[in-house]
Amino acid sequence: MSWRAIAGKDYYETRDSRLIRWLVYLVALVGIVGGYVFPAIEGRDVTASGFAEFMTDPMGLLLPLVGLLLGYNAIVGERESGQLAILLGLPHDRRDVVVGKLVGRGAHLVFAVLAGLVGAGLLVWYPFGTVDLLLYTAYLLLTLSFGVIFFGIGVALSTLTTSKQRATVGAFGVFFLFVVVWDLVAELLRFVFEQLGLTAGTLPDWVLFVHGLEPGTLYDRIVAAFYQNSTAGPYLGPDAPWYLGKWVALGVFMLWVVLPILAGYRRFERTDL
Amino acid sequence: MAAIAVENVSKRYDTLTALDRVDLVVEDGEIFGFLGPNGAGKSTMINIFLDFVRPDDGRVEIFGHDCQTEGKLARERTGVLPEGYDVYDRLTGRQHVEFAIDSKDAHEEPMALLERVGIRDAADRRAGGYSKGMAQRLILAMALAGDPDLLVLDEPTTGLDPNGAREIRNIIRRENERGATVFFSSHILEQVEAVCDRVGILNEGELVAIDTIEGLRQSVGGGTKLLITVDAVPDQGETIRDIEAIDGVETAWLGEDGDRIEVTCSNEAKIDVLVALQEGGIDVENFRTEEASLEDMFAEYTGGRA
Repeated sequence: MSWRAIAGKDYYETRDSRLIRWLVYLVALVGIVGGYVFPAIEGRDVTASGFAEFMTDPMGLLLPLVGLLLGYNAIVGERESGQLAILLGLPHDRRDVVVGKLVGRGAHLVFAVLAGLVGAGLLVWYPFGTVDLLLYTAYLLLTLSFGVIFFGIGVALSTLTTSKQRATVGAFGVFFLFVVVWDLVAELLRFVFEQLGLTAGTLPDWVLFVHGLEPGTLYDRIVAAFYQNSTAGPYLGPDAPWYLGKWVALGVFMLWVVLPILAGYRRFERTDL
Repeated sequence: MAAIAVENVSKRYDTLTALDRVDLVVEDGEIFGFLGPNGAGKSTMINIFLDFVRPDDGRVEIFGHDCQTEGKLARERTGVLPEGYDVYDRLTGRQHVEFAIDSKDAHEEPMALLERVGIRDAADRRAGGYSKGMAQRLILAMALAGDPDLLVLDEPTTGLDPNGAREIRNIIRRENERGATVFFSSHILEQVEAVCDRVGILNEGELVAIDTIEGLRQSVGGGTKLLITVDAVPDQGETIRDIEAIDGVETAWLGEDGDRIEVTCSNEAKIDVLVALQEGGIDVENFRTEEASLEDMFAEYTGGRA
């Protein structure tokens, strides 16, 4: 159980970082403000499912940012400056280091999402709304997992490189590609395919599949499918093939939660430090 | 059981051979000095102990636990002062020590540990503001947590003033008296000479000598150099041959001025040399002895790079 000592140490250390504190407050604040504003905008039909859809854009922007920032420096920072020598000089193995870091830093992410969404849930429910507790808990877990995906990508980046600078570039690269330009890429491809005369304003199914593998796109797809019960659009429409369906999306989403972390751990386990 | 057993360990980095088939045993309870110039491979060896680095060949055991496959067990009874470490800027001294105590499942009073290394007063300050010497003591306090059976200290006196270095040596002695084995690396001979029972000298990845300080002295020209001033030497070649024929004499040669004979020999042979000279009709005007310098020896082993 020696990861616990590392998790505790890391929790206190990151809590002291002003940037991380503000990010945590920001996530909580955005959730709560969302919960406050949503009934006012929505008017009649105030439900938790509606709220989930309402929040996909702000969460889709904020959680990748917070996740990556919490993760990218987790190990490379200590490795570059030499604190890892102290950590591994104590009776910890490398798995303890990875697990301890995931728990110690991930705790901030959990608190942020919980504070934001539990607060928001209460505001949606009171005084006029309805919240299906089971459904809302699932939404909470889904959103938390979405944050964990980017946190995991950050930690993986942190194990892959020996320089903090490269990890920073990697984290910004992931954010830029997945969050900033990913949808533009789809637009661009649509334009290209149309100009080539291959399709009429849509994308081939295989391109949709590949484009739909990005975590943010998956999150949108899952919320649309399970919370809006949407049966329209390229992914959920009646003509869409099975591999564009919601269960495949959910499966790929789960893979994103675990694969980057596992890959990062394997790599870290095998290298000379 | 040996505290540390190094068996045929090699490590290469591209074209550079950091360690070349090193064999080494550190016995339980001794203070072992690991000497060598910078870049000799000392840190690579210590990094293998700690499993930061995996050897290409050979194996290392600490208290019978393989450092690579059972690294955690190997480090459970070990306190480490690594090289090139940095403290956690945001944590206080006390938090550092608490972390070490938690990590080792020990039940100690953090303040007592900080007291032992002399930084009790700075316990609640953030370690980011510590001087190099204080940080060194803090990491040493972390190493001492849980009363380890083995201390691995990589250049523990580097960057400290003479006072600080002496205090570190005192701590090493106290820990050793308590029963801990100490493995202590340094590129400075006198740091090691003062406390170590045995030393190993590493040069360019090879262990070139391993012995007690006394043993190393002996191995340098028999231990004693005899400087004899005489009135005149009639037949130089014959005199030198006669002296070298004496039991216990290693080499003899004439000093620069021609009225001095220098002899390296064992302690017991000194009188024999003087007697032989008198019998050969040479007047001895004066003589003195010099201990063979370990510095010379160290420089000799390491190609003068120390």
